[in-house]
Amino acid sequence: MADDSFLVEKISIAGPALASILQRFSSSPGDADGFLFGHFTRLPPPDPHDDDPSSSYSVAPGPGSPTAFSASITGQFSSGAPMSFYDSIGRIDPHCVRRATASTEIGHGSVLLGWFSCRRRTTLRPSMRELAVSNSLFKTLTLGTPSVPKLQDSPPAASIFLLLSSSSTENQSIHTHEYRAFVLRKKSPGGACVLEPTSLHIVNIGPDFRGQYGSFLPESMLPLMPCGAEDDLGWREGLRGLQEAGAAQRLLGLATEGFKMEQLAHLVGPGGAEYVSELEDLYRKMLLKLERLASLVEKSSAKVLEQENKNSKMRCRLAGLE
Amino acid sequence: MVAEPPLPPAISAQLKYLLVHCPLPFRVEQIWSGCKNSRFSDRFTLLVPFCLDYIKWDVIYNAFFPFVAPDIVFSQEDEEFCPLLPGFDGEGEPESEAWLKCSSLWDWNSKDPSRLLKLVNEIRDLYIQHQRKRVGKIDDARLKFEINTILSREGIEVCLISGLDKVVFPISRKYSSSPSAPRIKLVASSQLKDLFSVEDVKLPSWVDGMCMAEYLPSLEDTLNIQIMEAVASIGGRRRFIEALAPKFGRPLEADPIFCRRATFLAVTGVFTFLVHFSLSAQFPKLQPTLTLQSSQHFNSQGAPILSLPLSDYPWSPRWDAPEMAERIFEFLVKECINFKKYCFDAVAQ
Repeated sequence: MADDSFLVEKISIAGPALASILQRFSSSPGDADGFLFGHFTRLPPPDPHDDDPSSSYSVAPGPGSPTAFSASITGQFSSGAPMSFYDSIGRIDPHCVRRATASTEIGHGSVLLGWFSCRRRTTLRPSMRELAVSNSLFKTLTLGTPSVPKLQDSPPAASIFLLLSSSSTENQSIHTHEYRAFVLRKKSPGGACVLEPTSLHIVNIGPDFRGQYGSFLPESMLPLMPCGAEDDLGWREGLRGLQEAGAAQRLLGLATEGFKMEQLAHLVGPGGAEYVSELEDLYRKMLLKLERLASLVEKSSAKVLEQENKNSKMRCRLAGLE
Repeated sequence: MVAEPPLPPAISAQLKYLLVHCPLPFRVEQIWSGCKNSRFSDRFTLLVPFCLDYIKWDVIYNAFFPFVAPDIVFSQEDEEFCPLLPGFDGEGEPESEAWLKCSSLWDWNSKDPSRLLKLVNEIRDLYIQHQRKRVGKIDDARLKFEINTILSREGIEVCLISGLDKVVFPISRKYSSSPSAPRIKLVASSQLKDLFSVEDVKLPSWVDGMCMAEYLPSLEDTLNIQIMEAVASIGGRRRFIEALAPKFGRPLEADPIFCRRATFLAVTGVFTFLVHFSLSAQFPKLQPTLTLQSSQHFNSQGAPILSLPLSDYPWSPRWDAPEMAERIFEFLVKECINFKKYCFDAVAQ
């Protein structure tokens, strides 16, 4: 159960992730819901203050003190139909959760943080089912990994809930989007679980995020570029080296069309400047890959839309709405 | 504001069934649509009767998936009320799990119009339990004793309002922690106020060392007798209004439930006016108050001219209804001349 040994103190969401949720919501005819993905980061313990003698002892990260976490939402997954992964009394279907997490996790280290619910023209308060779903999702994920003993500072399971509402004026000239983030928390031992409103920071909006530029670590789909010096050491020799090279080539294949690892090796090191054409080649092949992906997405989107329209027509007929 | 679209047939049938078949006075405050360019609405605010008042629940359906069970958003103060949570309100998890499995949400059938009523009743029952538990948590021995002894009585609802010292029953009362008599306040619904004059209700006296469980039965008995008398007096008022008809003609308008008001059209020569009868709860002890209203004279604001309330005319509660009507008619034959003059003067000014 949501014990107090961990706390999600901050929730931030990447601009594109929020935009894609909003887009998903505004393109859906009715209400929508889905999963939130991202990662938890441990927050540094607060600085002890010299002027307050009691605080310098209490905030020291002792073995029993709670570890504070910050949650960053970087992605979402929505199936398009409401109540796709839970039932009418708010119980999670573990298979759906597993399927969704398997299809979305692509080695980015992103984990399931929680879920979101979008409903037009309603108050931004969790409904009775939403609270039950949050509770059940949390339980499903904590019970799903019994082999791992619960460590004091292991990251919290999915306890984030994002509630969105939107409304528009009659002539559709003004659209208002509202959102509120919640963290599932147990009020008292043995007490009821509540979804506690928590502020949501949108990354890159506002001056609060200046600091992030300083601590930015690039995250790339490209494999580590083998530098010339390392090549001399012959680290690629042997079966293990071959395996690593194969994995790196596969990673590279995700980003470009037919660009060899050896070509990539030319781009770094002292002779890099001579291979401008190689770099342009890499860029061109990346664009090619993107174009192919885009046309695939376009075609499949058209098919999905067609199917969705068919489904909605059939649903209407079934419900006697025609 | 453009009118909201109607509810889809399946949802509309459920709501209609709820409003028609439930003995409790549920009401719908607002119906609106949560869909993009939809021909149908799918959410509404339900006013749920509780403790002589209403609590608001937003019932949320999905017009594109009308087969899907609805969801409810409770009001802000009821944040701790989470009926779908296993182990909620300190219940054992197996118990609440068992409840969920026989709840009407479990195997929702949108084709069955009685489902919404069942669901709302189930949740309301849980809400009553929840409020009882909240009141039970107040750390006051006297209050605990009183509540425990009276909760078994039928129809007792308690709730906690703003702060920890006030408890509302259908009959509400305020407690002090000393063993003295509690301060009791009767709260009546507006319908009851129409039936009889609530201000005149006298509370039975409180004997030292008494508790609510001893006090309530006698209070209920007195109230019962008074209500029975009030109901009986409706018959008297109805007979009086009926007796007016042979003299004044059929009433233009009459209160058919409590028989407290009736309006007749009267004519003398070319002067046409209305006579409003207002009957108090103490009728026939107190005579009806008459107000005359001209149909031809209007003041500078365009409102019809009204006489002052007339309640000083010959009257005896011992007369039978036809005689009462006869005497009032005789009085009005004279009085209408004064009223006509009053109207002329008012217009001339």
